[in-house]
Order: sequence, then C-alpha cells, then structure tokens
Amino acid sequence: MAFYTLGLTFNIVILLTVIVLAVWIYGIYFNFKKWGIGSTGYHDQLRYSFWLFLATWIHEAFKDGLWVFIRTLILDVLVLRRTLARSPIRWIMHICMFYGFLTLAALSGLGLFMDIIEHFNLLGLAEQAEMVKGYMELPFDIFGYLLLIGATIAIFRRILIKFVRDNTSAYDAFLIGAVFLITITGFYAEWLRGNAFLVGDAFAYPIYAPHFALIHTLLALGLFAFVLPWSKYIHIIATPMTLLANRGGE
Amino acid sequence: MADDKKSKPLMTGYMLSTQLLEIDGCNRCQECMKWCPTFDVRQDRPGITPMYKNAKWRELMARSHNLRSKIFGPKPLDEDEMTKFTEDVYSCTTCGVCGTVCEAGIKTVELWEAMRPNLVDRGNGPYGKQSLFPKLVAADKNPYMAKQEDRLCWLPKDAKVEESGKIAYFAGCTAAYRQQALAVATVRVLNELDVEFCMLGKDEWCCASAMVRTGQRPVMKDSAVHNVDALKDRGVETVLFACAGCLRNSAIDWPLWYEGNINYESMPLSAFLRDKIKEGAVEFKRPINYKVTYHDPCHNGRHLMHLKGKDWAFEAHRQVLQAIPGIQFQDMVRNRALQRCCGAGGGVKAGIPDLALDCAKARVKDAEEVGAEIVASSCPFCRRNIMDGRNAAGSSVKMLDVVELLAASMGLDTTIPENPYTKYQEQDVIVCEDVCKLETVERKEPGKDVVGEAH
Repeated sequence: MAFYTLGLTFNIVILLTVIVLAVWIYGIYFNFKKWGIGSTGYHDQLRYSFWLFLATWIHEAFKDGLWVFIRTLILDVLVLRRTLARSPIRWIMHICMFYGFLTLAALSGLGLFMDIIEHFNLLGLAEQAEMVKGYMELPFDIFGYLLLIGATIAIFRRILIKFVRDNTSAYDAFLIGAVFLITITGFYAEWLRGNAFLVGDAFAYPIYAPHFALIHTLLALGLFAFVLPWSKYIHIIATPMTLLANRGGE
Repeated sequence: MADDKKSKPLMTGYMLSTQLLEIDGCNRCQECMKWCPTFDVRQDRPGITPMYKNAKWRELMARSHNLRSKIFGPKPLDEDEMTKFTEDVYSCTTCGVCGTVCEAGIKTVELWEAMRPNLVDRGNGPYGKQSLFPKLVAADKNPYMAKQEDRLCWLPKDAKVEESGKIAYFAGCTAAYRQQALAVATVRVLNELDVEFCMLGKDEWCCASAMVRTGQRPVMKDSAVHNVDALKDRGVETVLFACAGCLRNSAIDWPLWYEGNINYESMPLSAFLRDKIKEGAVEFKRPINYKVTYHDPCHNGRHLMHLKGKDWAFEAHRQVLQAIPGIQFQDMVRNRALQRCCGAGGGVKAGIPDLALDCAKARVKDAEEVGAEIVASSCPFCRRNIMDGRNAAGSSVKMLDVVELLAASMGLDTTIPENPYTKYQEQDVIVCEDVCKLETVERKEPGKDVVGEAH
C-alpha cells in the first residue's frame, strides 16, 4: 500500500493508532469526570465521580422510560429534529457533517481492521480483507463528499451571513477550518492517486499522493485525539448525550 | 474579601452533573442569540446571551478543571472578569426562549438558575437590589414591607371567602398590596360563579420566586414549606393562581423543597374560568369593544408547558378573551412558546431596571404593531413592567389582566374598598357604566418599594 512508503511501517501505524485511541479514551474519561463535579440531584452534595456522572446521566435519560429514550435517540439525535425546526439550511449542514464525520470515522476503523487482517493473514482472510477495502472506496468517497458539502455550507454560512460572521470566534473559525482542511486534503490525496470518484484522473499525480494521504491522516488523527475531547468539539459527544439526558429538551 | 474570593475557584455545587454536560453540549449555533429578549435591546453585549455565557462558564471552570490545571495547578480567577461574568449572568430574565429554540435541547432556565447560587456562594451575586429580597421576605413575608394582617385588606365586605375548602385562591403579594384591582376582580368573578373558595390571608407568605430566580435559595425552604402546609391544612385540592410567578413556584419549585406529599393541583385561574365558560356558567352582560392582544407570561407559559400542557399554558387564556363579547382578539407576531419576555423576570427589574424597561418597550412595540388597544396578561409583574415600558415609550396601549376584562364583561362591581395600600395602587383599570372605558390609576405615594414589583 502506497501509504507505507514514506518510512511508515505497519507497526508504526498500529502504534500511532493505539496512542491516538488511548489519548481519546482518556479525554472522554477526563470529560466524564469533569461533568461528575456536579451533583446528582437538586439538593445533593458533590461527588466528583466518573461513575456517578454516568449513573446520573442514565437516570435522567431513562426517567420517562425506554420508549421515550428510543424516540429521542431517533428523532432528536439521529434526525436532528430540533435543528430542522429552526433552520432547514443548518439542518442540511449538520446532517452532512454528522453523518459524513461519523461514517468516515467508522469506515477508517473498519479499514484499519482490514489492514490488520491482511497484514497477519488472520484466519487466512487476507485476500478477502483486501477485497472489502476495495468495496469501501465508494462509501468513503460518498461520505467524504457529504462531509465536504457540510463543511462548505458551514464556512460559507460563517462568511456570508453577517450576524453569524459577527459572532464567530477564532475558536469557531479554527475548528471549522480544521474540518474543511482535513476533508480537502483527503479528497486531494484521492484525486492525486487518479481514478477518483467523479473527477477520474483529472488531478492524477501519484508520486505525491502518499504525502497528502499522510498529511490527511495525521490531521484527522490529531483532530480526533488531541482536539476533540479537549475543545468545543466535545459537543459531538456532549450534544447527543444532552438531548438524551433531557429527553429531547423542551 | 477580595483576597478570599481570589482563592476560590468557580463553584459548581448547585449544578447537576448533567448541567455541566449541557454546557459542553452547546454547539454555538447562535439560535439563542436571535431570540434572546435582553440581547435584542443590548446588541453591543453578546456576553449576556446563552451561547457566550456557556462559553465563559466553560472557560472559567477550565482554570481549575482542565488538563493543564491538573498538571500545573489551577489558575486564580480574575475578579474583574468574574464581576463582568456575574453581570452577564444576571442580565437574563430566565424567560427560557433560548431553551425552546436550543438545538442541543439544553434546559436553559434550570441552567441559569443553577449558575446563580454558585455566584452567590462565591460572593459575586446577586446583583444590585436583588440582595434585599431575602431580607425583606424573611422579615415581612412579602417584598413590599407590608403587614401580613393586611393581606386581605382589599376584600370587599360583601365578598364570600371561606376559611377552608377544596378550592383556594392564592393571590400573591403584588395583587394583595399593589394591584388590588386584579384581586378584587378575581374574588368577584368566583363569587358570581358560585365557586366556594378559601384564601390563606395572613397565612399566605411570599412564594419566594424572586429568591430562586436570583440564586438566593435558602429563604425558599421556609416559604415553600409554610405555604404548602397552609394549603394542605385547609384541605385544598385545587389552588387557583392569577399570578404567573406564584403559579410557577407552586408547580415547579415548592415540590423541590417540600419533603412530604403535595396532593393539590396548581392551576392557572384562566384555565378554571375557561372551563366555566365552556360549561355555560358565565353570563356576559356587556361587550368589551376593544382590540386586545395577549402577552404570554414566561412563568405560566414556557416554564409550565411541559408540566401542565400547552392548553393551560397558552390556550386557556386566549379562549377566555375570545369568549368575551366585543373583543377583537389579535395575537402578537411572537406568541406562545416563542413569545418575547416583558423583561421583568429573573430579578432583572430589581437588579437592572433600565434593561427591564427597554425589554418592555420592545414588547409594547410588538403590541402596537398589531394595533392592540389593550395588552391582556395573567402576570402582575409583566403588567407592571409593560406599563412602565408603555409610559417610557409614550404609548397609549393599556395593560389589563384577563380576569379583569372578564369581570367587566360580566358586569361586576370591581371597586376596591379604601385600605392602607390604596395610595400605592398604580394600574390600568377598565371602568364600565353605559360603556366601558380604560383609565390609568396613578400612584399617590411612592410607597416603601425598595426593590420594585418584579421577580
């Protein structure tokens, strides 16, 4: 695979992945513990506990029963009903980014799993693993475009709408810019390889494809582990959890 | 004192752990900013909007609880920054429209009301004259420095009020001492409908709404326990409220402080009257030939709609108005769950009166835009503040309660008997002889109102 030609070996990639996952998991634990600084009820005392945060969240999320939890999960978390009620354009943007981001992350994880199977020829499935990776190219492209559409709307919204622009902080700009950059580098890496979805070989320049792939991967992993849990991006986790804890909010 | 405060981190004691989660759940979509009534009149201060308050709380909390502080130790808080943040947190009427439109489903009213006691404990809050609320209520059981034994001084001699019974009318401090036209109209209407009801009289204490809204919680317990016990002792099954603030507190806050079982229903008076109208029990005798709009108070609208349903929160009041002959009813553009707050809530009227006034002027403008001659409401605090806004804006719009319009159309005598608080009355009234006319009663003396009539 071209990806491993820049001095990166399979082992280094696995090591990097383990580090990234470890940092990410610690980040999530850190946030849960931070939220656990609060109390568990109106008159309760502070506990500062990871586990009590989880217990409080579960208590709140299931307060009105399993059906309400499932309804909230579908309508508010997966369909983003509250966003749709306020702004269809923002809903399209969020849906594109939400499903683009989540699916690409899942596909990346699956891709890595296939790499491991292929590398160690686990259960003698190396050939099949490579085949699966081939099948993943189209969904990668489709959900990549979805994320690109979402990120583009986000950027244009911040630039073109005065009210939104006036209330955009450097923080917002950095984070939206980062998503856009990661998406674009991913696409460019694909285009350089040639035979890309929609654009064919119009941008083919295979020598530099690995470089862009590496930049894209490092940026994506960096965002995932070193930015997401430690910044406003934690809303990717916190917003769905809030919607569930509040049974959809008002 | 300043040194003591510097050593204190941001307190989180009153925040539920899920509320700390909510703060991180804000995705900065800016929707709240479009609807916030205080930001609408203070466009130069984005810090007062929910999105910025959340971001600031996160930033201040991070000084003691982020990864850096775990490794290198917490950073002390800058007191000037804390003072500014406190002002921002208290420049909120807790109207809750931000929660209604929040994409992340954050329960904002509860969130702001949990932030404030932390600021109070740290020595930053409350704001301005709000600090007088607990002292006044602890001393006099009302915020007007009035006598408890005068609670029913406005009651007409021929009015029938029982000592106990299944239905109670909880008047509230403002109707008892400052807007007695509302209290008299309520009693007259209930008497006319042959409703047997009791009142707590000197056993009625301030609902303590202002304390909870401004983060001064400890006084709340005494008021909640006393009022609930007093109602239970009288065998009450339904409590009628013509005050949105008292209703909210009775339905939402008192149960949080009362340890026993509360077996009565807290009901908006309009909902009770609407049901009577539907039953055919109300006989209308006069048309009220005015164009009327309805201002939804936050406390019995948005705050209550999930607990009591949208019918009680929004529709019942409108249905009473629409049933009154002669009234041309027209909703304002912002109505029901997306209504614009009058600006009095959350302690803003007492703490930052100029902000409350500007919000009220904006609401008066909303009413003028639909050509309303009368703004009807079901909250004495909204009424007080919108009247102030009307006066400041030089508008001719009048402000009345739904039940006063109903009493007028039923041909009832709503004359307020002379009492020690007559000179403090200041309200618009509807006076009906051959035809009904709108008048404004001016206050003859400033009274001893230290904090203004608002929650």
